[in-house]
Amino acid sequence: MVLDLTMSMAILALMGALATIAGCLEDLESDVGSQSNPNSQVQLAPQMNFLHRIYNKAVSGEPVSNGMSAVISGTVTVVLLDKGFFLLTAIALGALVGAIVLGIFATTSYAGRVASQARFKQPLYMDIMRYTTPSIISHNFIMNVCLVSLAYIQCVVLGHPFPIPFLALVWGITAGAVGSSVGDVHYGAEREFQNREFGCGLNTALSGRIVIKAESGLRNSIDNVWFCAKYGGPVTGLGLGLVVFLSSWPATIIQPRTIDDFWLTIIIGLIIVVLLGIAHRLVEYSINNAYGPYKEEKNEKEAAA
Amino acid sequence: MATELLLLSLQEILFIAISGTLICIAVHFVPVGGAPAAMAQATGIGTGTVELAAGSGLVGLLTASYMYSSVPDAPMALVLAAGAIGSMTMMAVTMFFGGLVYAYGVGVPFASAQVKKDPITGARQDIYMSKGTQGQGLPMVCYVSGLIGGALGGIGGAMIYFALESIYKPLIGESAPAVAGIFTMGVFYVNAVIASYGVGGTIEGFHDPKFRRVLPKDTLTAFIVSLLCGVVAVLIAWGMV
Repeated sequence: MVLDLTMSMAILALMGALATIAGCLEDLESDVGSQSNPNSQVQLAPQMNFLHRIYNKAVSGEPVSNGMSAVISGTVTVVLLDKGFFLLTAIALGALVGAIVLGIFATTSYAGRVASQARFKQPLYMDIMRYTTPSIISHNFIMNVCLVSLAYIQCVVLGHPFPIPFLALVWGITAGAVGSSVGDVHYGAEREFQNREFGCGLNTALSGRIVIKAESGLRNSIDNVWFCAKYGGPVTGLGLGLVVFLSSWPATIIQPRTIDDFWLTIIIGLIIVVLLGIAHRLVEYSINNAYGPYKEEKNEKEAAA
Repeated sequence: MATELLLLSLQEILFIAISGTLICIAVHFVPVGGAPAAMAQATGIGTGTVELAAGSGLVGLLTASYMYSSVPDAPMALVLAAGAIGSMTMMAVTMFFGGLVYAYGVGVPFASAQVKKDPITGARQDIYMSKGTQGQGLPMVCYVSGLIGGALGGIGGAMIYFALESIYKPLIGESAPAVAGIFTMGVFYVNAVIASYGVGGTIEGFHDPKFRRVLPKDTLTAFIVSLLCGVVAVLIAWGMV
């Protein structure tokens, strides 16, 4: 389908917005279910005598499990569309099926993992399973809706050669990769070790000694997602949104027709990458000056004096 | 019939072998710290090698395939460049936002444990490392290394797609992009896992001594395995005839 510039930009903005919501919800889902790398600490905690009330799903690496739920959603959506369902109904039903499959995996992996920790006296809390699993399913449902809509727009409106389920799979994997690289650090390095001084860096000896007490009572995964929703989740959302937006923006704005135009889009893409690199360096410079240097240089200066 | 197809597609098989090797090399460039980095105890992005490399490579695959379908007579260099830019964009955005979380969410300065001074900016690294850690965050050298990894991964993914699309298109027409895309993803994962085993799950980038130690062995393994993947890809086409 050939679109004019205004319509193309509108479509691109919609894709960016969908990806932003998907990225945010993807990260929050992995926080509420405790998945990916930070979950290693949750698993280690009972061995260090830190018995906790945190959900422990870790179906697989985040990209793979999200790719799985997204591709199931995409497949069911395509089947329903083929049967003549209205688009939004098909996407909603497809997303629900994908989310429920993830919920089943979450339940079995939580029960299985805790059962394997019986020797460390880690209890399996049924109330945690009852309260948290629906939250995992609902977070994943919204992510699936956004990603399948994104795949639909790419396939049907923009005419991408890949089919909807495959596009949903790719975006599911990418959402998981961004979420696991960006938002999970906020959960793993900050929320799980919140009782340590901010900016101290985390000594390896602290591994497994996670915070198990909450502001009131014992901490559970709902408390964790409340905290991560303030920074880790939105930043992940912005990340995925920008990945979708910036990877398509040059081609949308130039609307290339000739091979020279295509080279121009690639040069613009390269400029974006360089600008992001400069921004990264500025962040590095400012925070290294703000937090550091740590003690060693002071000692060196004293020794020199 | 199968032998005939194999002989006809020798060039494509070689392309797949080369691009698989490129993907394997790319993964060595990507600075991933695994679980320790997710706890800000090690330098790099807090995720697994395979996950991030696949995520970025697949974005490259999407941009390359879109470019190829918009301009069917596009030269190979253009498709490869499109793949590289897509992957680099994903990598740049992810590392930038990952850096923001380290900087303002966790509150740690960026420091590499492997070099005393950043080879790119010349900034001291050792004095910013906090006690009991192996560095933290994403110093500039890791960022640049990640971008190189993204570019190589994107080129590799796009090259496999380009080769497979040309084999499958005469046989299955419109379904060719989907089959080629799925096979590209498979080759991506195979090679990313080889690299991941080689580096032992974590690597800081091209300045890490591990990089020089494991790269030759992994490259050879990836070449042989990708060659086999190429043969299998052509044999699949035999079933489509």
